[in-house]
Amino acid sequence: MNGREGVKVAGTDPIHQFQIRSLVDLHVGGLDVSFTNSSLFMVATVAIAGAFLYYSTATRGLIPSRMQSVSEMSYEFVANLLRDAAGKEGMRFFPLVFSLFMFILVANLLGMVPYFFTVTSHIIVTFALALLVIGTVVIYGMMKHGLGFLKLFVPHGIPAALVPLVVLIEVISFLSRPISLSVRLFANMLAGHITLKVFAGFVTSLSAFGAIGVAGAILPLAMTVALTGLEFLVAFLQAYVFAVLTCMYLNDALHPGH
Amino acid sequence: MGYALRLSSEFIAGIVVGVAIGWVIDEAAGTSPWGLIIFLMLGFGAGVLNILRSAGMVAEQSLKPRKGDGSAKD
Repeated sequence: MNGREGVKVAGTDPIHQFQIRSLVDLHVGGLDVSFTNSSLFMVATVAIAGAFLYYSTATRGLIPSRMQSVSEMSYEFVANLLRDAAGKEGMRFFPLVFSLFMFILVANLLGMVPYFFTVTSHIIVTFALALLVIGTVVIYGMMKHGLGFLKLFVPHGIPAALVPLVVLIEVISFLSRPISLSVRLFANMLAGHITLKVFAGFVTSLSAFGAIGVAGAILPLAMTVALTGLEFLVAFLQAYVFAVLTCMYLNDALHPGH
Repeated sequence: MGYALRLSSEFIAGIVVGVAIGWVIDEAAGTSPWGLIIFLMLGFGAGVLNILRSAGMVAEQSLKPRKGDGSAKD
């Protein structure tokens, strides 16, 4: 399973980039807990995000340097997001939301480097992140409001006869949140990277047909360049969307049933 | 593409959860196929609700004006 030989046949196979390879085999009690390329890039993501924030704010300049203002901007950005969506008391969740935002953003951007692995293109990773969010919402909501948290499922001002039906639909709608939250991030990254690879593959296979092919390869090449720009936008946008939805769900935990 | 993916993922998620609940109830209570049928319908309903919410056509519950909360919003 060591994909050394896989690198050579990779060619234009658009799925190959998502393969998980084990770097250090580890088995604990029948469970496969090997250190894979996915784990490697998760560690790299955390290390890069942490190191960037640490070193860019290390000088603590009153007049911020360029790097320092980047990290101050990301702080302000997430803080405003959270304050707008969940109010002042939402700020206690700032560490959670900021970590999620930075992790997804850096993981998406790392995935844009050629030959790098995109952590967020695997649904199990994004689903774990979404479960973390929803778990926080449920546990904190139950802790703070007790059974009053269940008022979230009963919109006020509906006829009594409709309450059971509406409650069922609201419960299903609530349960579908972690799924749509994780599927959105995962599908965007997967689709984007496959499209990029397919168009880039056209360039190499077309240029095998001699001069006419090389001339024709200009079109997919232009497309690849445009898509690369679009993918950088998507990388940022998806981290933003994930953070916004996290804030909105946390608001439900703070103020259910209004 | 982003918008389409967002809406379709909302809709599919509602249906998937509805089917999952119905299937589990059927397995547990042996009422196949009624649980699946009913919860599939409810799942469709939840999916449509999800879409309307994320398209901003139905007010998000959390976006309704709150009483006694200082944060003024749009």
